[in-house]
Amino acid sequence: MFGLLRSASRPGLAVLRATRTTAAPLASSRVFARTIVTKRFTTDHEAVIYDSDTKLGTVTITDYAQSSLGDVVFVELPTVGTAVKQGDQIGAVESVKAASDIYAPISGTVESINEELSSQPGLLNKSPEQDGWLCKIKVADEAELDALMDAEGYKAHYEQS
Amino acid sequence: MLALRVCWRRICIISFFEGHRLLPSTHAHNPSERPLHTLTSRRMLLLRTLQHAGRATKCLTHTRSFAVSATTRLSVDRSIYVSKSTNPYFNLTLEDWLFRHKSPKDPLLLFYRDEPCIVIGRNQNPWKEVNLSSAENTGTPWIRRRSGGGTVYHDLGNTNFSIHLSRSAFDRNETGQIVLKAVRSLGVDANLNDRNDICVGKDKISGSAYKIVNNRAYHHGTMLISTRLDTLGDLLRVNKPSLVTKGVASVRSPVRNLQQYNPSVTHEGFVQAVITAFRETYNIRDEVCEVEETEEVKSIPYISAGMEELPQWNWAFGQTPEFTYTLSNTFTWGTVTANIHSKHGMILGCTLETSASTLPVQPNLQGLGEQLSGQKYGFVEEDVLVLEDDTRREVWSWLRNKMSR
Repeated sequence: MFGLLRSASRPGLAVLRATRTTAAPLASSRVFARTIVTKRFTTDHEAVIYDSDTKLGTVTITDYAQSSLGDVVFVELPTVGTAVKQGDQIGAVESVKAASDIYAPISGTVESINEELSSQPGLLNKSPEQDGWLCKIKVADEAELDALMDAEGYKAHYEQS
Repeated sequence: MLALRVCWRRICIISFFEGHRLLPSTHAHNPSERPLHTLTSRRMLLLRTLQHAGRATKCLTHTRSFAVSATTRLSVDRSIYVSKSTNPYFNLTLEDWLFRHKSPKDPLLLFYRDEPCIVIGRNQNPWKEVNLSSAENTGTPWIRRRSGGGTVYHDLGNTNFSIHLSRSAFDRNETGQIVLKAVRSLGVDANLNDRNDICVGKDKISGSAYKIVNNRAYHHGTMLISTRLDTLGDLLRVNKPSLVTKGVASVRSPVRNLQQYNPSVTHEGFVQAVITAFRETYNIRDEVCEVEETEEVKSIPYISAGMEELPQWNWAFGQTPEFTYTLSNTFTWGTVTANIHSKHGMILGCTLETSASTLPVQPNLQGLGEQLSGQKYGFVEEDVLVLEDDTRREVWSWLRNKMSR
């Protein structure tokens, strides 16, 4: 629960909606699995693992983020049921006296949050992209994922900054 | 000709934000929403700001004419700001406004001093960090800030600094070194400890905290110059070992004032020293900007909203992380142990157990516990409580007292 969920006044996230000419996702195995799982990254060092079957995007911070944050002592998560837009602040992490905002990588409704983090905030350091997941968002628009980076693009992004 | 003299002194006094006219402040005050402990001091602050409202403020730069322009602005174009206000609600909000509106890559430095107040970190528990009864007795408000870290005490003997940078350029050790360099230049043999706080020997003279958003970050901190350390000690002294918080606990340290090492150090001297170090580090040449707390500045929507938000229950108490509080008391008829579970300022559950052998007491108290569930911790609406008998009344009276301090 926050005061006002205040979006930072910054240049609006340019959502580059590339027109999709095909409906085919990037990776699929037609024989064994029909669920497509896509992982994308934001410039703010969040990641979203999207399951096309359940339409749920699992939001995490990246390993790079946790290493630059230091030891996490507290995690602030959104309330279940909150509607969020891509780029909205949805939570914050405190580590070594720094309060760092976390942003929604995609728009949708918060379906669940990782309750483990309230007693084990250190999960964000130990397993940032798996056990330390932050919340699951019911995705409103799959196309928003196109605006995010893939693993290689993300790596290039943080290596140059 | 006063204008010319001010120009030569190279200080720019700024007052308005672009596009906003001279509007009276239209803050909606909601006393019922505001915690009681802030009302007295807020009244005092309100009086002071009303005194300022009548004052004409000017923005004079070496490029502008002498006449007061109707569109003079509180600008984010400057790099070094000194707030002339001592209102902590204004100063914290000004800091946040500058943080969110400055162009992301440009370094910025801000100084402010506050009237006596206690400032807790974003994820802390006021009942665990603040001596609420002393605070109330002395009329000292406490405020939750937006950065992390622990609890500090501000008074006019303490100078707060705030260094803002782009997120990628932000390095807390580097910014710590800037302030350290300044302190050393004042003839004090200080050092940075492993938590990036400035110390002299083992004693802290400054505490730091940080805030990071997507493209920007700041390091802000206190600098004890001539603070009332006795008052600090009293207001931050809380002994509640059985209140266990999932939030952030303060790391307590002995503190001292800079003046104890160099009696000639002043707020102005410290400010100048940090400005010099900041200018050298980031190659900043522009003039220092003094910001006054005027009605015009406070009519900037972001600032008025921020100042309103800080004392309201939602932020001050509603942001409190989960905690449990176990307490016991012996009444004439038996001992009661209460276990209160709270999150976001609400009571999630309250179990009341008793040693009393009288049968009706236990379910009676259980009923009281259930009534407290869903109420605001420390601000229970008494009208809705059903207190049919003395046992409940006694136990409730004890709990109410314990939750309020």
